[in-house]
Amino acid sequence: MRYMVFVKMAPDAGDAPPALFEAMDAEMGQAFADGSMIAAGGLGGGEQIVELRLADGAITTTDGPYAEAKELVGGFSIVEARSQEEAVEGARRVLELHQQHWPGWNGAVEIRPIWGPDN
Amino acid sequence: MADQHTQEAITAVWRHESVRLVAALTRMTRDLDLAEDLAQDALVAALEQWADGGVPSNPGAWLMAVAKRRAIDQFRRNDTLRRRTSELAHGLEITGEGAEMPEIDYIEDDVLRLAFLSCHPALPPESRGALTLRLVGGLTTQEIARAYLVKDATMGQRISRAKRLLAESGATLETPVGAERRARLGDVMAVVYLIFNEGYAASSGPKWTRPELCLEAMRLARILSGLAPDDPEVHGLQALLEIQGSRLSARRDAEGRPVLLEDQDRRRWDQLLIRRGLTALAEAERIGRAGRPVGSYVLQASIAACHARARRPEDTDWAEIARLYDVLAAAAPGPVVEVNRAVAHGRAHGPDAGLAVLAAVADHPALAGSHLSLAVRGDLLERAGRRAEAAKAFGKAATLTNNDDERALLLRRAEESR
Repeated sequence: MRYMVFVKMAPDAGDAPPALFEAMDAEMGQAFADGSMIAAGGLGGGEQIVELRLADGAITTTDGPYAEAKELVGGFSIVEARSQEEAVEGARRVLELHQQHWPGWNGAVEIRPIWGPDN
Repeated sequence: MADQHTQEAITAVWRHESVRLVAALTRMTRDLDLAEDLAQDALVAALEQWADGGVPSNPGAWLMAVAKRRAIDQFRRNDTLRRRTSELAHGLEITGEGAEMPEIDYIEDDVLRLAFLSCHPALPPESRGALTLRLVGGLTTQEIARAYLVKDATMGQRISRAKRLLAESGATLETPVGAERRARLGDVMAVVYLIFNEGYAASSGPKWTRPELCLEAMRLARILSGLAPDDPEVHGLQALLEIQGSRLSARRDAEGRPVLLEDQDRRRWDQLLIRRGLTALAEAERIGRAGRPVGSYVLQASIAACHARARRPEDTDWAEIARLYDVLAAAAPGPVVEVNRAVAHGRAHGPDAGLAVLAAVADHPALAGSHLSLAVRGDLLERAGRRAEAAKAFGKAATLTNNDDERALLLRRAEESR
């Protein structure tokens, strides 16, 4: 089953320390090498965000940044896991690397199955 | 004992760690069975201890430390193996609790060595697939049994027999070099391709495809690309499987019946896998340009890529496919390649060109009794407007196939040609 994994954090979290980059690189390199990760990327935030919304019959466009947002998606990955637990274990590792290398960071990893023809 | 949630977490950790754990332990102990036992023991210890204390932050190192300690205990107890203890202790460099893995640099080699061992020429092809899924893919015996539609006990026996055969044949754990390395790498690729094909068009069982086998084969091909990155064929195999895998859900209809390439709903092709396949193919071609020989996997992947790039069947670059089949037929000659080459030439250069290719292999013994070349002949004759002859070829082909769906299709085409 394919899962989409979102890493969510406060909009003003700032830049990750180099140690985290290195640790995440190694972790993701491993996941790519064992064939479980099939795509991953970081997402731009702040003024790079554009939201289009349909409400009450009208479409409005709002440019970022969103100072009022509690959490924003900062990165994503698409993994091919044999079970939900396997995907959860991968996510737990990502959080543990943040815990280890980015003191004071608060955030979340969200896992969502991707609907396909087989589920 | 661990509660349900912890057990599931531990199983997930096991998937992440078991392959590299068994691989490293096999190198240290030179004994596949012992390595698997030690790894299993470590897992049992984890089940007991992690239930209370939670999963440690580096579970792989934890499992490795426990397995090593048990290895030492076992060797100390066993007099006949005393001689090897010093060797072992040397390789283990025992340090404190939760020690980091000192042999991290070896890990990739360890896994490759396990792949070579699993696909050893001393083993029958069926066992090679099962052992590769177990040792390199990290699947349990139960999961492999399910994938191959056999009983757990049957698969367990097949795997034990394979391990016994390896021991009896004196198969060593040394990584082969030079020409032998290339040959053995070829064996490993053939096994991965076989696993994929068994899933892509299942030779047995009620279902036409078994996607889980395809997914495992794709995973193995990706692992192999990482283990032998300087070989274009390894990337070619990965590209071939990713691109063919992208069509999995399009190649059967709602009733599970096969859908031929040209009739598939191309919107159902998995674009993510196609992109990964094209990237792997580009890597194979890059290494190929640097002078490493490309072979049949790269060529087949190039053909698959031609189809993947065509948004509609009529956009297919048949001239390029015909050219690639010419190269493939020269590199890996065979009657089935010739039949496919006939299809490609028929589309690219007209039905007569295709019929000419087909005529040259029509009497090949490997095609006698097969519906394949007759079905292609019928198609080419129909396109050439020779309808009566086409109907005859389709009718004859229909009597030769064992697959009900295929027979119905051929009889329908025979009817339409009349």
